[in-house]
Amino acid sequence: MQTTFLLRLSPVFAVLCASLPLRQASAVDFEKEILPILTETCLDCHGPDKQRSEFRVDQRAIMLKGGDSGIAALVPGDPAGSYLIEVINGSDPDMIMPPKGDPLTKEQVALVEKWIAEGAEWPGQMDAEHHLTTDLWSFQPVVRPVVRPEVPGDAAKPVDAFLAARLKEAGIAPNGPADPRSLIRRVSVVLTGLPPTPDRVESFIKESSVDADSAYERLVEELLASEHFGERWAQHWLDVIRWAETNGSEANLYRKNAWIYRDYVIRAFNEDVPYDRFVTEQLAGDQLGVGEATGFLVAGPHVPAATVGREPSAIRQARADRMDEIIQTVGASVLGVTVGCARCHNHKFDPISIQDYYSLTAIFQGVEFGGRYPEFSEDHPRQQRARELRAEMSRVRSALREGAGQWEEDWGGFTEMQFPATRTAVLRIEFDRPAVFIDELQVYGPADYNANLALASVGTKLVEDPEMADAGSLVGRANDGEFGTMVWKSRAPKDSKEKPWVEVHFAETQEVNRFRFSNNREYYFETDYLEKKGGGGFPGYRISAQQSDGSFKEVGKTASARELLKQKPGMKQAAVRLHELIARISEEGPRHSFVGRFEKPVVTHVLHRGSPENPRDEVMPAGFEILEGDLGLDSASPESERRLRFAKWLVRPEHPLTSRVIVNRIWLHLFGTGIVPTAADFGAAGAPPTHPELLDWLASEFVRPTVTESAPWSMKSMIRLLVMSDAFRRSSLPSEAGLNADAGAALLWRYPPQRVEAEVIRDGILQASGKLDPSLGGRSFRIHNEKKTYAQWEVVNNHGPETWRRMIYQERMRRVDDRMFTAFDFPDCGQVRATRPVSTTPLQALNLMNSDFVVEQSNFIAERAQKEAGDDKEAQVRRVFQLLLTRGPDADELAACLPVDLSLVCRSLINSNEYAFLP
Amino acid sequence: MNPENLTPHGRKLLDRRGFMKNTAFSLGGLGLAQLLAAEDDPISFSGKTPIRPQIDPDNPYRPRNGHFDAAAKQVLVIYCPGAVSHVDTFDYKPDLAKFHGQKPPGIPEVTFEGTTGNIAKPFWDFKPRGESGKMTSDLLPNLGALADNFCFIHSLHTQTSAHPQGENFMNTGFTMEGFPSFGAWVTYALGSSCQDLPAFVAINDPRGLARSGKNNFGNGFLPAAFQGTDFNAKNPPANLGRPASLSAADDKSTIDLLKRLNGKHLERYPNDANLAARIASYELAGQMQLSVPSMMDLTAEPESIHKEYGTDTGSELKREYAKNCILARRLIEKGVRVVQLFNGSDPSGGNGITNWDSHSNILETHAMQAEIMDQPTAALIRDLKRRGLLEDTLIVWATEFGRMPFLQGNGTGRDHNPDAFTCFLAGAGVKKGFSYGESDEFGAKAAVDPVEVYDFNATILHLMGLDHERLSYYHNGLERRLTNVHGHVIKDVLA
Repeated sequence: MQTTFLLRLSPVFAVLCASLPLRQASAVDFEKEILPILTETCLDCHGPDKQRSEFRVDQRAIMLKGGDSGIAALVPGDPAGSYLIEVINGSDPDMIMPPKGDPLTKEQVALVEKWIAEGAEWPGQMDAEHHLTTDLWSFQPVVRPVVRPEVPGDAAKPVDAFLAARLKEAGIAPNGPADPRSLIRRVSVVLTGLPPTPDRVESFIKESSVDADSAYERLVEELLASEHFGERWAQHWLDVIRWAETNGSEANLYRKNAWIYRDYVIRAFNEDVPYDRFVTEQLAGDQLGVGEATGFLVAGPHVPAATVGREPSAIRQARADRMDEIIQTVGASVLGVTVGCARCHNHKFDPISIQDYYSLTAIFQGVEFGGRYPEFSEDHPRQQRARELRAEMSRVRSALREGAGQWEEDWGGFTEMQFPATRTAVLRIEFDRPAVFIDELQVYGPADYNANLALASVGTKLVEDPEMADAGSLVGRANDGEFGTMVWKSRAPKDSKEKPWVEVHFAETQEVNRFRFSNNREYYFETDYLEKKGGGGFPGYRISAQQSDGSFKEVGKTASARELLKQKPGMKQAAVRLHELIARISEEGPRHSFVGRFEKPVVTHVLHRGSPENPRDEVMPAGFEILEGDLGLDSASPESERRLRFAKWLVRPEHPLTSRVIVNRIWLHLFGTGIVPTAADFGAAGAPPTHPELLDWLASEFVRPTVTESAPWSMKSMIRLLVMSDAFRRSSLPSEAGLNADAGAALLWRYPPQRVEAEVIRDGILQASGKLDPSLGGRSFRIHNEKKTYAQWEVVNNHGPETWRRMIYQERMRRVDDRMFTAFDFPDCGQVRATRPVSTTPLQALNLMNSDFVVEQSNFIAERAQKEAGDDKEAQVRRVFQLLLTRGPDADELAACLPVDLSLVCRSLINSNEYAFLP
Repeated sequence: MNPENLTPHGRKLLDRRGFMKNTAFSLGGLGLAQLLAAEDDPISFSGKTPIRPQIDPDNPYRPRNGHFDAAAKQVLVIYCPGAVSHVDTFDYKPDLAKFHGQKPPGIPEVTFEGTTGNIAKPFWDFKPRGESGKMTSDLLPNLGALADNFCFIHSLHTQTSAHPQGENFMNTGFTMEGFPSFGAWVTYALGSSCQDLPAFVAINDPRGLARSGKNNFGNGFLPAAFQGTDFNAKNPPANLGRPASLSAADDKSTIDLLKRLNGKHLERYPNDANLAARIASYELAGQMQLSVPSMMDLTAEPESIHKEYGTDTGSELKREYAKNCILARRLIEKGVRVVQLFNGSDPSGGNGITNWDSHSNILETHAMQAEIMDQPTAALIRDLKRRGLLEDTLIVWATEFGRMPFLQGNGTGRDHNPDAFTCFLAGAGVKKGFSYGESDEFGAKAAVDPVEVYDFNATILHLMGLDHERLSYYHNGLERRLTNVHGHVIKDVLA
C-alpha cells in the first residue's frame, strides 16, 4: 500500500485447524466450486494485493464483517441477507460485481447462494475472527510522560518544561514576560471576555512592581472567581455544539426557553462542575436533577417532521438527519472525531465503522428535538418555588370546588375545565362555534392526576359528526397523543344550525372530573415570537356524561362556569388568583423548555449507504467497538439507561479521547491554536499534536491531578495551571530570530498575538461606556422582529438599551445576519465550530465605523470620560484611552487626539488594530 | 501558520519537515503548494490534491488564477425560489394534453402536500421559438424569444421536496444547514477583478430573502470575507453610509486618527501581515462607500434601458425587480465575480404571492410571478449580450425543483417535483440553443441523461475554471467541497 499513515483494518486470525466437518454428498465443495469463482472474479481487487473498499474475499472473517459499506457480505445460512449475493446477482444496480467484464452466470450465482445457505463452510477458516485495530495515536491510551525540566529549577512548571524542550531543539530563545499592562488585558479577556477596568489595571501594575508573581496569581484567582468567567467559557462550548435558539431549516422557528440550557452551561463553568460530571449531565441530566442540561442533545439545527411534506420517505429522512445532528454534536464536542463520516460507510480514515455510527444512534434513538418540563432536583430553586405555588393553587381550587363546582383554567397553551366528578362510559362535548380545530383533547379523573383517560392507546375511541368531518383531519388526531399542526377539524355545513361535537367513548366506565384541549399546543410550548401563536382563542362548550339509561346529563358548561364565578361570593377573586398562580408557575416554576424530549426508542438498524429506505442489520446501543464500547445494552434497554451508560463510557478515566480533546480545547482558547490544531478532529485526517507529550501529560494531569491539589476533571484547575505558565505570560512582541524560525509561534517562543472575537469587541465597548448590564443569565435579549411562521427573521434593533447585555445573551438565531457581528465570523450555528475562522473584510470596517451601535457608544464613552476627567481635554483623552485600550496615550497620540472631537477619538480607538488584537 | 488551510497530507508534511518553518498565509501557502504538487495526497476522496487559493493577506479579494483556463470569468445566477413549473415553461410534454384529466397508473397517491389529482396539460400554450424552434410556453414569452442563446438542462433531479433544503442543495451543495454557498466558494477560489465593489453580491428580491435566508449566499465555514454582500437597487448594504449624525469632516478626522494609531501600533509589531490586512480592509471599505451608491444610482441609465427592463410598467414588484436587473448588469459590467439575483422570497412578502410556489391556482400565481420575472430578466440577458459581456459571463437560471405533471387534490395547483426539473445556462462556455437531457413523457422523472445537482454545480465550477474535486476547504475533519464526494462535469453542454 502506498499510504503510510492511513489506518487500515488489520485482521487478527485465530485459526484453529479443526478437522473438516462431515459433509453431505450434495453439499457445495468450497474449494472446488466456490474458491475458483472468488479467485477468478474478485481476487484482483479484493485480495492480498488490493483491498478495494477495504474488502477481500480470501478471508472469511472479513466477508462476515463486510467492507466499507459495513454490510456483511456473508450471512451463513441466509443468502438473501448476504450482500455478496446482492452485488453478484445484479439486484443493486448501483453496485454490480464484477464491475467490468461478464457478470457471473446464473448457475454460478446459484452455487454461491447454495454454499451460503449451507453455512458458508470454509475449511480452515471457520473460527477466524476479525477485529478492528488501529495505531492511530489518539486512540492509544494516555500514558503520563515523565517531566524532564530543561531549565534547572523549573520542575514545578511542567508545562514550560515540555515547551522548553522543543524550543531548545529548535534553537529559539523565548521572549521574556509581558509587561503588566499587556498581561492583565490578555488574561482578563481570555478568562472573562472583558478587558480590565482602568482601576484594576493601575492596582495590578502597582502590585506587580512589588511582587509580580503573587500579583498575577491574585489576579488570576479573581478572574476565575468572576461570574463573567462562565459567560466567556460557555460561549466556547456553545460554538462547538452550534447551539442556537432557532431550528434552522424551514420556518427557522424560535425554540422557546432553550436559553435555560445556556444558563446551565454558564453555571457549570462558574461552579467548576468537573468535566466528567458536566458531560454526564448533558447526556443524562434528566436522571441527575439537571434536566435542562440535555439542551446539549438538541443544540444543533433540525428539520421538523411537519415541514418535509407528507411522503413517508421524506419524514424518515428528516428523522435520520436529526439523529445525525445529535451524533455530530457528541462527536465534535466530547469525542473530537468526525463520527458522521461513518453514516454511509465505514470511516475512511478512522477506526469507526458504520456499525459504530448506528450503535451511537441507538443510544439516542429515543431523543427527539422538542421541549419538555426539565427534571429538577428537589432543592432546585425552580422546584421549590413550584411547590409553594402548587400548595396555594390547591387551596384556591378547593375553594372553587366548594363554591362553584365547575370552572375553567386557561393555561395559555391549553384550556381546562374542572367539573364535579362523575362516573360515565361516554363523555360528550358540544362546541358553541361552527368550526373547531383541536390538536389534542384529554380527560382526567380524580384517581390519577396525570393519567389521560382519552388516549387512543388506552382503548378510548372518539366519535365525531360524520357530516362535519374533514377527510384529511379526522377526529382520531385529537387523541393520538401528538401535539401540533396535525389537528382534528370539524366544520358545520353552511347555513346549518348544528355545531361540531365529539364523544369520548372510554373502554370502560371511568370517574372523570377534568377536560382539557388545545388548538396547537406544540406552537405554544415549543416556539415563541410568532405573530400567530399557538393556544388561546378557545371556543366555549358544554360537557355532558352518559348515564346508565343511555341519556346524557350536563356536567359542565363554560357559559355556566363563567356565570357562577360572577354570582357566587368570592369566586371571581379565587379564579383571578388561580390565574395569577398559573402565570407565576409558568414563569418561575419548571417551564416547558426546548431541551429535548424522550420517547420509547424504536429498534435501530444500520442504514445501507445512510439511506433510511435501506435498513439492514439491527444494532445495539454501544460506544465505539475499538474502545470497548459494549455497554451491555440491547434494543429493549430503556431509553434513559442508554444515555447514562454511554456517558459513563465516555468519561472513563482511561478513555483516550475524552480528556485529550477537552484539554486541547482549553489550550486552544488560551493560546489561539490547539496542541492538536484541528481541535474537532483527532482522527487520521486531522493534524497531529505539535507537542504530543505535553498533550498527554495535560490529559493525564486533568484526570488525575498531581501538581496541585485540585479535583479530578476540574476545568478551572486546568485553566489555572496553563495561565500560570511562563508561556502564557510571555511578551507577544516579535523578535527577528523567533520570526525566522517559527513565524506562527507554534512553539510559543512568544505569546501569539491574535484577533479578539466579535463578543470581546462588543462587550468591551459596552464596558467602556459604562452601559453594560452585567447581570447573569435569564431570557435572551432580542434584536429581531416577531414574524409569521413562514418568514425570515429581521433585525429591528441591534443597538438600543435593551441590548446592552453581554453578547452571549443575544438571541442566537441560526443563519440570520445580525447586521453587525456576522461579518466578524460570529457563527451562523449551522455547523460545529471548534475554531472560528478569522476574517478581515471591508464589511467589518463598515460595521465598526458606521453602525448605530458604535456611533452611539462612542458618544457614551466620551460622555463618561468628560464626566470622570473633568473639563481638561487632555485628561479626557487619557481617560478614553484607559477605558478602551487599558493604557494612556503617548505624547504623539495625545497631540493627534487633542484637536479631534472626543467621541470621534473613541470611534477611532474602537476601530484600531490595538483594540482588535490581544496583546 | 493556519493549519485549517492545509490538506491533511500537507499538515503531516509540515509536521515532518518542521512545523515552525512556515509563515502565515502567504509564504507558507506558496511553499506548501509546491510541496503538495510533488507528492500526491492519498487521503482525499477523489484522489486529487486540493488546490489552495493563494490569498493575499492584504486583500482577500485580489483576483487569483483558477485551476485551468476558464471559459467564464464572472457568473450571474438568477435564482427563482419556490420551484418553477418546468412543464409549464420550458419542458414541453405533448403527452400531458393527451392524458389531460386522467390518472394513468404510476401516479403516486401522495406527494409532498398530500393526495394527488389528475394529469393536467400545460396551463400555457407552447410554441416553437427562435431558429432552434425550441418549444417554450407563453408564460415566459420574452425569455422564450431568447431560447437560441440558452442551454437547457431538462433532466435535473434533486434529493428533497422541501424548499429550504432544496435551496440549500442548489446553492450550497448540501441539504443540511451551514455549508458555504456557491458564490462563497467561487470568490474564495478566485477573488474578484473589481476592487472597489464586493466580490460576491446577493441581490435579494424586493420582498425579502428566500426561504433558506442567508444560507443561499452565506460563507458557511469559509472565512466571513467570502460571504455574499446583500443589497439591491433599493436597500444598500448594512452600515455602508456615513452615520447621519456625522459630517464628512468627522469621517476624515476619524480615519486620519485611526491611521496614525494603527501606524504606531504597527511599529511595535513590524511586518505583521494580519495587522496590515486589517489596515487595508479599511481602505477597501472606503472605496466601497463611494462605488456601491454609484452602482445603485440608476438615473444615469438611458430611458431606453429603463423601458427595455420595464422599470416603469407593470406591477410594483416587477418594477422593483427590473431595477435589480439593471443593477445586476452594472455589477457584472464592473467585474464583480459573482452576482446572485433572486426572483422571489420567503412567503412573507406582499402582493399575495411571494415566489414560484403554486400549490393552488397555479394559473394565477405562476402568471403573477412570471409577470415580474419575464421582461426584466430577458432584458438583462439581451443587454449583457449586446455589450459583449456574455463572452466572459456565465448565466445560470435556476430553481430548487420542478412541479408535478398532475394536479394536487385541490385540482388547481401542482405539487413539488424533486424528480425532474429544468434550469438553463447561457453565455460564456456553454452551447447555444441546446437542450441536454430529457424528463419522461410526462415530465415526472428525469429519464435521459439524468443530471444531479452535484453535476450541475460541478459544471458551473468547471466553466469558472475550477475543478470541483480540487476546490476544497478543510473543516472539522474533512476536505469539504461544493459537490461533497459526488459530481461529474456535463461535458456535452460545454461549447
